[in-house]
Amino acid sequence: MDIIPQIIANSLIAGSIYSLVTLGFNLVYGATRFVNMVPGVLAAIGGYTVYYLFSQLGFNLYLSIAAGIFIAGIFGYLSDRLVFRKLRRNKASNLVSFVASLGIFTMIQAVISILFTSQFQSILDVTQSPTTYQIFGATFTWIQGMIFVTAVVAFIGLALVLKKTGFGRAVRAVSDDEEVSKIIGINTDKIISWIFFIGSCLVGLSGIFVGFDVGISPTMGLFIILAGATSSIIGGIGNIYGGFLGAFLFAFVENFGIIKISSEWKPAIAFSLLVLFLIFRPEGIMNKKK
Amino acid sequence: MFVLETKNLFKHFNGIRAVDELSISIESGKVTSIIGPNGSGKTTLINVLSGMLEIDEGVVVIEESEKLSKIKPHEIPVLGLTRTFQNIRLFEQMSVLDNILVVLTDRHVFRAIFETHQIFHLKKAEEVLTRVGLWEKRNQLAINLSYGQRKLLEIARALAMDAKVYLLDEPFAGLFPEMVKIISGVIKELKAQGKTIVLIEHDMGLIRELSDYVFVMDSGKLLAEGKPEEVLKKKEVIEAYLGD
Repeated sequence: MDIIPQIIANSLIAGSIYSLVTLGFNLVYGATRFVNMVPGVLAAIGGYTVYYLFSQLGFNLYLSIAAGIFIAGIFGYLSDRLVFRKLRRNKASNLVSFVASLGIFTMIQAVISILFTSQFQSILDVTQSPTTYQIFGATFTWIQGMIFVTAVVAFIGLALVLKKTGFGRAVRAVSDDEEVSKIIGINTDKIISWIFFIGSCLVGLSGIFVGFDVGISPTMGLFIILAGATSSIIGGIGNIYGGFLGAFLFAFVENFGIIKISSEWKPAIAFSLLVLFLIFRPEGIMNKKK
Repeated sequence: MFVLETKNLFKHFNGIRAVDELSISIESGKVTSIIGPNGSGKTTLINVLSGMLEIDEGVVVIEESEKLSKIKPHEIPVLGLTRTFQNIRLFEQMSVLDNILVVLTDRHVFRAIFETHQIFHLKKAEEVLTRVGLWEKRNQLAINLSYGQRKLLEIARALAMDAKVYLLDEPFAGLFPEMVKIISGVIKELKAQGKTIVLIEHDMGLIRELSDYVFVMDSGKLLAEGKPEEVLKKKEVIEAYLGD
């Protein structure tokens, strides 16, 4: 039974990473109402930016992280400005928007492969400090501790901004009814662009953490976006509180599911949870039944 | 002075002329009603005036100077316009208070994050919610309000906009007399403050009570106009409502 604390710690770390993706995914989904694949590849952009600046060019770690977050945010912003805003104006269907996002995803993923090869890369060992900590029999590194703390802080910060500030009210209004938001004077295009930027920054940060934790590859975005979308559906799509909860539930099921069996079963067990929710509670944990 | 005019306004849907070369002038500080049978183009007109539908032909003139052939919905508050909807549209997942505060919030992103006028905004929200009797419900989600309360919240949201022209699309539809009294009181107060009200309504008693001027629409065209007591007696108006 000594393994349980470690599995809990692993679940918390994985859940923290997924929660960042889910927060970003849910923010964007709430405002645009289509399943956007782009955040997945933005995670890869975040990870590769830090890899390039920190591991290849030797820049300061924290500056590299900030640059990774910012560049992921800018790419997300540009995806809205150059593609999705035009699709919204043309009243494109959700399917068209989804296919467009898949196109952007594939294109950027291919460019990353060309620039950095398809090989798996590690962000330098310096980040994987040998210093470890133990709590209740679970061992974790400082970076893993940072991942958990950052995810919790990001969630609380985002929840406060959405709940307590005028900007947050405008974001919620746009997510609730974009047309009425316009009528009361909200420039919804501008707000949605900001949502893309903030959501993409969060997803970029998750990609950086994946890089620190297990390493990066150009195709990392697919699993990340699937994990994010699954966590969102489990928690209640478009609901950031539900998404946060869903991310940790997803991670716990994923990690506890392989106690007695091979870890290769991890994705199969985790995505079975998605299927179960889609069948028995498609609205997720936090959303009300319609 | 005419605060709002349409000149040869035209809006069609797949060949159906919903608004057909409509030219009307709305006088400032008055209650102007637009009446007509269902499908006569009243709500389409409001949708065009509020930028929710594009103008196909013609122009909208604001305060006898600004001629617009295109209206962006998020710019209508700048033009001094606000509206309510025939089918109530609120921010359902937000509290009653937030439905009002979101109207008052600074539109500049950074100023909206670090709100500097929060106390002033709260005071204004309290004022408009108290006016329609919803202050006690301020922490409830809009989706949990009754039909009548939802109508009142929509009116309160329009009040918070502090507009020059209020486009009210059937604000009395389906309401109990008590709530009708509140809304007609609000309209009278707005008029006393010099605001302009454009009212779409089917209740002829309320039209007589509240309106200074009436436009009658039928099949997208202007059928008649004038003072309510004169217009409502016209044969063509009675025929349009009741059939031949």
